[in-house]
Amino acid sequence: MLRKFVDLITSLKLTIICLAAAMALIFAGTIAQVHLGIHEAQQRYFQSLFVWWPPEGRGFKIPIFPGGHLIGAVLLINLIAAHAKRFHWAWRKLGIHLTHAGLIIMLAGGLFTDLFAVESHMRLSGGDTRNYSEDSRLMELAVIDTTDPELDQVTAIPEAVLRRSRTIEHGSLPFQIIVRNFFQNSRLHMLSEAGSAARPIANQGPGAQIAVEAAPRATGVDDRDIMSVAIEIVPIEFASGTALPPLGTWLVSDALGAPQTFSCAGRSWQIALRPARYYKPYSVTLQKFTHERYAGTEIPKDFSSRVTLIDPERSVNRDILIYMNHPLRYRGETFYQAGFEKDDQTTILQVVHNPTFIAPYIACIVVAAGLLVQFGYHLVGFSKRRRTALA
Amino acid sequence: MLLFACDRSDQQIKVYRVSKAPLDATLSADATMPTNASSPSSLPLAAPLTPITAIIPPNWEPQPLSQMRQASFLVHGENGAVADISFVTLGPSAGNILDNVNRWLAQLAQPPIAADKLAGTVQQLPTARGDIAIVDITGQPENGDSSKDGRIIGAIASDEGRIAFFKMRGNSALVGAQKENFLKWVSSSRGANSPVSTTDLATPPANSDKPQIKWEVPPGWSPAATSAMRYASFTSETNGEKADISVVTFAGDGGSDADNVNRWRQQIGLPPAEASALNSMMVPVRAGEISFSTVDMAGATARVVAGWTRHDGRVWFFKLTGPKTVVEQEKPKFVKFLQSVRF
Repeated sequence: MLRKFVDLITSLKLTIICLAAAMALIFAGTIAQVHLGIHEAQQRYFQSLFVWWPPEGRGFKIPIFPGGHLIGAVLLINLIAAHAKRFHWAWRKLGIHLTHAGLIIMLAGGLFTDLFAVESHMRLSGGDTRNYSEDSRLMELAVIDTTDPELDQVTAIPEAVLRRSRTIEHGSLPFQIIVRNFFQNSRLHMLSEAGSAARPIANQGPGAQIAVEAAPRATGVDDRDIMSVAIEIVPIEFASGTALPPLGTWLVSDALGAPQTFSCAGRSWQIALRPARYYKPYSVTLQKFTHERYAGTEIPKDFSSRVTLIDPERSVNRDILIYMNHPLRYRGETFYQAGFEKDDQTTILQVVHNPTFIAPYIACIVVAAGLLVQFGYHLVGFSKRRRTALA
Repeated sequence: MLLFACDRSDQQIKVYRVSKAPLDATLSADATMPTNASSPSSLPLAAPLTPITAIIPPNWEPQPLSQMRQASFLVHGENGAVADISFVTLGPSAGNILDNVNRWLAQLAQPPIAADKLAGTVQQLPTARGDIAIVDITGQPENGDSSKDGRIIGAIASDEGRIAFFKMRGNSALVGAQKENFLKWVSSSRGANSPVSTTDLATPPANSDKPQIKWEVPPGWSPAATSAMRYASFTSETNGEKADISVVTFAGDGGSDADNVNRWRQQIGLPPAEASALNSMMVPVRAGEISFSTVDMAGATARVVAGWTRHDGRVWFFKLTGPKTVVEQEKPKFVKFLQSVRF
C-alpha cells in the first residue's frame, strides 16, 4: 500500500497529469475572466484548492476541477518526492540537481507569494501624511469606539466575516452585529427617486432614505464593486449576556461618505464600510508630485513623488524620490509609483508586502546555473569524443 | 502550506487603537499608529523622551502631544494666520545639519544648498545647552496656503547623543513676529541632565508611557487576559462561580459620575438612578492620599462594586462584577485592593 502510494507521488505520469491540468485550468481561467473579471477569476481558479460549481437554484457547491493551489502543491510534492527517490549524487548530475532545485524554489516561492503577499495602495495629495495603506479590493466594517478623548479603538471586521456570518460578536463590542442584507455590488438611489415600490433596508441614519439595488459583479480591470451591507445593532446585557432590544438597522456602504454614529452601553460609536487598512509603524508624507508630459501631447513622460519617510522607532527621517523603476523599499514593503489622479495633485503608490519576492530571482539563477553546468558538461564530453575520433 | 491558506489574516477581526490627533506632516507619524494593544502598556514608545523645560510665551496654545512631539503649540495671528511650533528629539541617524536644512528647504519648495553654503545660512545661538544652529528660510510650496505656510525657523541642537529639533512653521509674517519668542523658548530650554529651573511644559503626556500605578493583589485573585479596553484583569473563583475584577483607565475625566454609575446599573439590569439619589449611593474610600468614590449595586442576579479616582489627567475605574454570592465574598478583598493603590 505504502509502496503504491510512493510510486504514485513519484511517478512521471502524475507530473504530466498535473501539467495538463494546469494548462486546462489556465485556459478555463482565462476564458472565465470575460464574465468574472480578472480578480474574481484569479480567486476562483488559481487561488483555490478546487474550482467549484454551484448547481442552479441549489444551496451547495460541487468541486469540479482541482484549483491552482492544489495543482501547484501536488506538483511541488511530486517534484520533491521524485527527485528524492531517484537522487544519486554524482558530479555529472550536478546540473540536473541544480535545475530541479531551482524549479522547487520557483514553485514554493509562487505558492508562498500567493498565500502571503499583500498588495495595497497609498493615495496622497500634496502635504498629506499617511501611516496606512488601503486594499484596493477588500473592504472592512470599521466599528470605532470614539468615547476616549485621545484614542479611538477600532474593531475592523473584514468583508469575508460580513459575507459568511449572520451574527457577529466580539469581546471588544458590547453589542451584536446582525447582517440583515449583504450586497457584494450595489447601486444606491434616494428613495424619492427610486419609485414607489422601493423600500429602505435600514431605519437609522441616511440609509433610511436610501434604496439599495443589487448589481452584477464588476469585471473590468479598473472597476470596483460598491459593497453595501445592512447591519442591525443589538446591545448585549452585561451580566447575563442576553440580547436587549435592537437599537436599529444601519446601511453601511462604500458609496456613503462620512461614518455614522450611535451610542450604546454608555459609549459613543462610529461605523463605516471602508477599504481594508494596513497600518505601518512609520509614516509617509507627500512633499511634491511631478507629472511631466511629452511636449505638445498628453502622453506621460515621467511622473514621480517626493516623499518624506518618518519612522520614530528607528529614528529615520529622510526624503525619497519614488519614480518608475525606482521604488522605495522599507521594512519589507515596496512602494512603487503606480499612478496619479487627473488633477495632477494626488499620487497613487502601490504598496507591496511580499516576504518571498526574492524567490523567483534565486530560482532563475539556480536554474540557469544548472542548465549551464548540464549543457557545459555534455559539450565538454562531446568535444573530447570528437577530438579523440579525429585523432 | 494548505493549512496556512485556510487561516488567512484577511478573514480575522482585528482590534487596534489610533490617536485622534492628526498626523504631523513633518515630524512624526506615531500619533495615529495603531497599537494592536491589549492595554496602555503596549503603546509603542517611539524614542526615549528627553525631558524639556522652557519658558513658554503666553500666546502659544499647547496642543496634544504625540510620542515624538515632546512639545507642541499653535500660535494664531491676524486674518487666520497660523504657525505651528514643535520640539522633537531623534537619534543620530536623523542626519546632519545640512540634511535637515535641505529637508526643510524642500518642504518650502526651495532648492537644496551645498555644504559650502551652509555657514551662510545657519547662525549659532549660544545657550545653556551649548551652541544651537538656527536657520530661517522662506518659500511657498506649490498650492500651499499662505496663511499657514511660507516660512520655517528651525533650531538643531545635539543633546546627549540625540538630535533635538525646535521648529516653527507657518504664515511668513506671523513666524517673523514670533521669532523673538521662539528664540527665547529655544534659549531657555534645558536638556535631559540640566537642572529644572524654569516653568514646566504644562501639557499632559498624551501617548507617552504606561501610566504609573502600584497595588497589591489580594490572595486568591488570578491575573486574567487583558483586552484592548482593560489595563489589568483578575478573576476569583468560588464554588465554580467567577468574579471579574477589571482596571480600566482613560485620559480625561471619563464622563460624569452619574453616566458611569447608570451605565453599570444598566449592565446589571437596574433602572437609572435619580440624580438626587446618586450622592447617597457613593461612598468614599481612602488609599493613602488618594480618594476613591465607590458604589455597590446589586441586580436580580449580578452585583457590581466599583471604585474610581482621577489622577494626573486620567480617570481610573476599578470594578468587581459577578454573581451576588461571590461578589459578597470578594468585596472585602476588593476594598483592600483599592486601599493598596498608589501612584
